[in-house]
Amino acid sequence: MSAVGLRASRPAYALFVLPFVALYAALLIWPLLKGVFISFHDHDLLSNESFWVGLANYAELWDDEVFRQVVGNTIRFVAISTPIFVILSLSLALALNRPGKLAFLLRATFFCASVFSVTLVTLVWKLALMPGRGLLPQLLTALGLPELPLLTDENLALLTVALITVWWIIGLPMILFLSALQQIPAELYEAAALDNASRWRTLTRVTLPSLKRAIVLVALIELIRQFQVFPQILLMTNGGPNNSTRPIVQFIYEQAFMQLSLGYATAASQVLLAIMLVGVSAQIWIERDKKGGRA
Amino acid sequence: MKRLLLIAAALLAACSPPPDDPSRTEITLMRFFGSCESKFGAVNDVRQGVGECGIVTTLVNEFNATNGEGIVVRTQIGEWGPYYDQLTARLVAKDVPTVAVMHESALGDYVRRKLVRPLHEDFARIGIPVDDFTEHARRGVSFGGKVHALPFDTWAWLWHLNTGLFKQAGLVQGGRAKLPGSPEELIAQAEQFKRRTGKPYFAWAVANETAANFRSFLTLVAQQGAPLFSSDGKSIDMRQPAVMKALTLMQRLYAEGHVKPHLDYAAANQAFLNGEAGVLLVGTWTLDQFLREADKPGSALAGGYEVVPFPQLYAKKAVFADGHAWALFEGGAKTERHHQAALRFLKFVWSRSGEWARTGHLPVSRQVADSAAFKQLPMRAGLTEITETGVGMPGNVPTQRAIELLIGEDVANLMLSNKPVAEVQANVEKRVNTALKKARR
Amino acid sequence: MNPLLRRGWFDRLLMAGLCLLALAWMLPLLWVLALSFKPNEFLMARTDVFLAPPYTLDNYLDILGTSAVFRWLGNSALVALLQTAGVLVLSSLAGYGFARCEFPGRRWLFAFVLFGLAVPAQSVFIPLHHQFTSWGLQNTHAGLILPGLAAPFGVYLMTQYFKAIPLELEEAALLDNASRLKTFVRVILPLSLPAQATLGIFTFLACWNDYLWPLVIATQPDMYTLTRGLASTQTNFAQSEGLGFLMAQAVFAGAPVLLLYLFFQKHLVSAVSSR
Repeated sequence: MSAVGLRASRPAYALFVLPFVALYAALLIWPLLKGVFISFHDHDLLSNESFWVGLANYAELWDDEVFRQVVGNTIRFVAISTPIFVILSLSLALALNRPGKLAFLLRATFFCASVFSVTLVTLVWKLALMPGRGLLPQLLTALGLPELPLLTDENLALLTVALITVWWIIGLPMILFLSALQQIPAELYEAAALDNASRWRTLTRVTLPSLKRAIVLVALIELIRQFQVFPQILLMTNGGPNNSTRPIVQFIYEQAFMQLSLGYATAASQVLLAIMLVGVSAQIWIERDKKGGRA
Repeated sequence: MKRLLLIAAALLAACSPPPDDPSRTEITLMRFFGSCESKFGAVNDVRQGVGECGIVTTLVNEFNATNGEGIVVRTQIGEWGPYYDQLTARLVAKDVPTVAVMHESALGDYVRRKLVRPLHEDFARIGIPVDDFTEHARRGVSFGGKVHALPFDTWAWLWHLNTGLFKQAGLVQGGRAKLPGSPEELIAQAEQFKRRTGKPYFAWAVANETAANFRSFLTLVAQQGAPLFSSDGKSIDMRQPAVMKALTLMQRLYAEGHVKPHLDYAAANQAFLNGEAGVLLVGTWTLDQFLREADKPGSALAGGYEVVPFPQLYAKKAVFADGHAWALFEGGAKTERHHQAALRFLKFVWSRSGEWARTGHLPVSRQVADSAAFKQLPMRAGLTEITETGVGMPGNVPTQRAIELLIGEDVANLMLSNKPVAEVQANVEKRVNTALKKARR
Repeated sequence: MNPLLRRGWFDRLLMAGLCLLALAWMLPLLWVLALSFKPNEFLMARTDVFLAPPYTLDNYLDILGTSAVFRWLGNSALVALLQTAGVLVLSSLAGYGFARCEFPGRRWLFAFVLFGLAVPAQSVFIPLHHQFTSWGLQNTHAGLILPGLAAPFGVYLMTQYFKAIPLELEEAALLDNASRLKTFVRVILPLSLPAQATLGIFTFLACWNDYLWPLVIATQPDMYTLTRGLASTQTNFAQSEGLGFLMAQAVFAGAPVLLLYLFFQKHLVSAVSSR
């Protein structure tokens, strides 16, 4: 029994995946379908009354210029933050993938911020950016630089929140890369050492190629998470200034909980789903292409 | 030492569950205002409570200790920010609290969906005199002519003044700060203030803030006697001249440097407390704390601290005001006995409503408002008029939280992004009318 | 030896640079710690302070004096631990099934699961709430734990990880006539400790700091999770009037997770020196 044994198709093997798939279907897919159903209704959140409106919610979203802006903001946020996440966390993981107390401390330091809740993170940064008296403006003034209204300038606010988000949760993609680095077989490194390969060559010829799958994974997970960005923007800029930072999820929240318009809110969430599906499919397709064979 | 003993007692209490007593009637009370168990958890006298949390905690404690009918009020504290999200989730899940505190501006949506019990007859029966409600309180809890909640307080939009800086700017009259009586006077005085003190006249919360901007805007419009909303609450008129005047004034004040720029709520408070501006626009809830701040040695408010209702700049005396009220929910009382217990609690709250006024919020009882005890509290005498002149969005405007967001956001853009007044008018009108049309009740 | 681990001047420079970066990274958090020992009233007027007096333990004493705080801590711990355990078990099993086994419909089922990656939480949030409340699961631990078990990220992560394990290791085990399950438990699982540690930390953290779902499903104060419970104790304008308290709460709520991370960190970077 060799490769054939491993490759033999047996229905019993489906039992490995069944527990998860059952929960997944019941607690994710089923509510999703219900949500889609609601999106075809005008549904009042508080009284739970609803009536059928067909595609009216989607048509209204199409015409809603606030929603268009909101989609644009979200895409911009993802476009800014995802590359930074991937590159920075990869660099940190590569640099800190070593034994020793110092590396241990440094890894913990970069991870530290992610244990705190979003409420605290936004609070401490709002204080640090407080005009005139915050840490950052004071630093800028001390260096003789002009004080930038980072959170109240239309052009800077989204970038600022994106950078704060990176500061907050860089630890998680970093440990993803670290765990992937542990999988690279020692023999590859030994071979490179035997060839007297330089550090750069080892990095580019051995490490990075072995990390391709992990890079796609991290890019994917960050894409997914940042498309759903919400609490930090709500708490730091409330969607402003002038709707330049409001993300899709905040729009959904406001429609559902403040305007009590559940149908409209779920329609917007289906649009978000569609956008994310494009992004996720693209990522997975890239990975599939690189390997060929089993996916 | 006492604190440590209290903590030890609290820990012990947490370990042993209370015995189930059939002669008890337990009702649940959902509220915000935070928790101060370590300081007031064991205090049973509302007169010893200090601050919003302290007073409401001791209020419930005193009722539990003295009602003599086996009624126990179990407090369930909700977080303030997402309070209504949590309340909605509870109602949808049929996990309904017996009593809950709410803003009067939020009551309407729940009343119209028949989720709140009308209390007109109950109040008449148990002796809560609806005629003693102040005008603002009465308006806030009445829907369709019937009372639907017990008013708790009225809170309003005030000017907190650093009299010391006003003196420096030469804007005093009879030892007190001189206030403008018209927009032109305001601009002139603000300019004089800046010239003489080198500091901006105002500290406003503009960044990351919609409520504050909405309240100032509504005040200015109401003072011109202009109704912002139609009589059926289904549309907004942003194109009327009163609106344009209000928006132009706000934009001009900010653009000409009379408002310290880019401040959010915490920053505006800090700026005022450190003497960096003359006037802070914030509500009644900070009164108590600011008074304590002003008493501290070396405080920037040592030269004098005053509080006035938003001064009358136009034809009419008006200021934004909202209020807290206690509502009873349909399905929140398991039996009629529980409902009566809840009413007993409300009666108790009414009888002690003077105590709540110590927080800085305004009383809802005419008797209390006229009483010497209230008038003796610092600065309250000048604020009593708000119980009549206070205005908010009309009660029939639906989803007021969302409307406040839509209006407040663009008013902030007016200042932060220097958005043209006409654009703000058009944008807000379009978006608010769409939202109002969509709201089904 | 791994060429990347050669010590040299570049290496020392790199580590020095990282130390500086780490210090800057930590600064806001050290500030949080410092602010947590300051009285609320003081912080209403100024926050640009660090080590200078006044100091107070009041904020921490207030937390400990809230009788429900240990119940909340227990709720958070129980829910997070159970959810993490559940996710690790389910994701590992399913990941192995998708990565290594063949069965009819495997490709379709995998695509079906991957689709879930694109589903934002908001699409299912409210229908899920309706579902759970109709099943009577509001204010139960199950209500807090179950939804997190359906997230496909763990399955995706484990699938990718398992795919990278060389086939030979498994084939060797199968030659000894071991069942698939035994192979999985004896051979594959131990090799996946870094991924388990990563997924474990990820899941635990997401559960511990979850914001919206616990708000709507656990509405009774004795079912609050720690973060929700502490948040409920704040006064209405806590960002201005209760700042010290907020900071103390954050430290109190973040400390357990940090300890957990430090405990599991050793599995993340395993035996690197042998390479």
